[in-house]
Amino acid sequence: MSVNSTNDTKQVRRNLKIKPSGTGDVIFSGVTSVAAMFTFVLVLLILIFLTIRALPTLQANGLNFLLGSTWEPDGSGVMQLAPMIWGSILIALFGILVATPMAVSTAYLIVFVLPRQAGSILTSIVDLLAAIPSVVLGLWGLWVFTPIASHWAETLHKYFAWIPIFQVSNPEAGFQRSPFIAGWIVAVMIMPIITSVTREIFSQLDRDLINGALALGGSKSSIFARVILPTSSGGIIGGVLLGLGRAIGETVAIFYVLNLSTDINWGQLLEPRGGAVASWILARFGEASTLEQSGLIAAGLVIFCITLIVNFIANAIVNRAQPWRR
Amino acid sequence: MSAFSPRPVKQPWTAKSSTRSLKIFLASLIPLLVAVGSWLILGIDYTVALVGIFLPLQILSAGIVGFNAFGRRGFKDALLLVLTIFLSTTVLVLLSSVLFSVILKGWHALSGQFILENNIYVSTTTSLDYGGVGHAILGSLIVVAITTVLAVPLGISIAVFLTQSQSKLRGPVRTFTQAISGLPSVVSGLFILSLMPYLHLEHVGFAGSLALFPLMLPTMARVSEEALRLVPNDLRMAALALGAPNYKAFFKVILPAAKTGIITALLLGLARVIGETAPLVLTLSPNNGTNLNPFYEGMASLPRYIYSFVNTKYPTSQERAWGAALVLVMVVALLFASARILGRKKKLKTKTVKKNTIKKDA
Repeated sequence: MSVNSTNDTKQVRRNLKIKPSGTGDVIFSGVTSVAAMFTFVLVLLILIFLTIRALPTLQANGLNFLLGSTWEPDGSGVMQLAPMIWGSILIALFGILVATPMAVSTAYLIVFVLPRQAGSILTSIVDLLAAIPSVVLGLWGLWVFTPIASHWAETLHKYFAWIPIFQVSNPEAGFQRSPFIAGWIVAVMIMPIITSVTREIFSQLDRDLINGALALGGSKSSIFARVILPTSSGGIIGGVLLGLGRAIGETVAIFYVLNLSTDINWGQLLEPRGGAVASWILARFGEASTLEQSGLIAAGLVIFCITLIVNFIANAIVNRAQPWRR
Repeated sequence: MSAFSPRPVKQPWTAKSSTRSLKIFLASLIPLLVAVGSWLILGIDYTVALVGIFLPLQILSAGIVGFNAFGRRGFKDALLLVLTIFLSTTVLVLLSSVLFSVILKGWHALSGQFILENNIYVSTTTSLDYGGVGHAILGSLIVVAITTVLAVPLGISIAVFLTQSQSKLRGPVRTFTQAISGLPSVVSGLFILSLMPYLHLEHVGFAGSLALFPLMLPTMARVSEEALRLVPNDLRMAALALGAPNYKAFFKVILPAAKTGIITALLLGLARVIGETAPLVLTLSPNNGTNLNPFYEGMASLPRYIYSFVNTKYPTSQERAWGAALVLVMVVALLFASARILGRKKKLKTKTVKKNTIKKDA
């Protein structure tokens, strides 16, 4: 009852409609609408044209295209992508595992620990590194990071070889070109993205909430664990998913630091063989026959669908966590 | 009474006794010394020294100091602080390692001739005194310029649709724009590649521009949307109330007000696509000479140049790759810095305006 009565007395704000008037306006709104529709058209066009070229492979291999692990375009014509898909997922998961704690702690440092000036400098640095081209990261990964990381891998193997994921079939072969190193490179790539999403959400947190927790006797750690993390977890998960999308689509940098192999690697991170769909496309396309091109375009279709879905989910979560953006 | 004796009043929560400062100092010094000592003197591997000795010791010592001062909560706070600083330092070390190795290794190759000359008659072992990336810089500029010409009007139009129209499709359009901003670059290249037979397009510069277009468009649209949103709606309403049609209100009122924001969008979009490699590898055949015609024959580009020189055994070729990487990173940093400075100027302006209005009101 009371709710109804307040609704009756409340003034209803009129919804102003702006309608195009005159030819100039009709053209203006027409052009912008067409441009907006182009986003749908672009996604559709990509789907259609990739499917047209991929169809021969998809028909010939069926569902085994995703599940099998043979790649013989010149002999039997069988092309199956499972090692690459699993490799992409493995590298992306490991990269996220490495990048997320670092990104969250960097965001925490920027927003809650450092003075404002130092925080904004750190923000600039992290944002600039988000813009470093992946070919440059590949160059760095191959000639600077691989020697260092293979040493880390060797140490890990030395002390933790009893854990299955750190086992290696042939330690003498060296620890280079493994999913471990590719995962670190991917972590360096996606860290800035996760950091900037998390930082944005941290900086928009309700300060009264934190001050209230302080007044109730909360310490820094309890506020972090019980106030900051729970209220911003949605946004952080969204940021991580955005990073996941990038990690799956990453091409050039992984291409240099990973030994691409159709011999599927289920989870031995330090083993010098692995897979990545995008890098596989790049590696094979140069000398590919028409038939193999079709297979590689089908591979492109697969990562397009995966990243599109991941990005939809990620953006939905991030948008919900950032209502001030709407 | 002694209780009322005049004593310098210190707020209890800011008081830091000298003994505690000493403890904090020791707590941060001892683990470092032990770790460095075990690394240099005992010859323990540096990764083990860092993760196996330094980190646990640092946590322990910080924990003891925290526990000493505040009890259990002090211990937890110390743990949080140590982990935060350790992880963020790792981030900084990794990221600055990228920057510094590009600068240090690229510096040798850089010279006036390296920036101006092209790569004709240069083999894998030719000394660095000959040849350069001039053709690649020009090629990159041309390819990206065509992409820009295509993406900027379309991106701004999408942004206008998202901010000015009242269509119900705004939500889906925004969702799709965000979703394609995560489009893997290799897919964009494959898309244009599978379009090429229908467009009767060879592996020329224009194909490369088309392949970069789906990557630049979403950045352009999203950042200009933010810029347009910053313009107060009252401005637009005022223009409309004065009888201006929508398009005049946009071109004469909103666009000038959002100018710096749109330029920022342009710069960020350029920074996004100028280093993209995979689409160019798939759609644009490389060229060692200078080619300025985007519709005829292959064209060089900076990322493609680096790509072809990365994985060679020849030291001079590697140095060429590092030099080109330095040029590319400098271009990206320049674009990025100008975008930042433009954004900052705008903030300053709004601040001063606010101050003035407050004075007037008073």
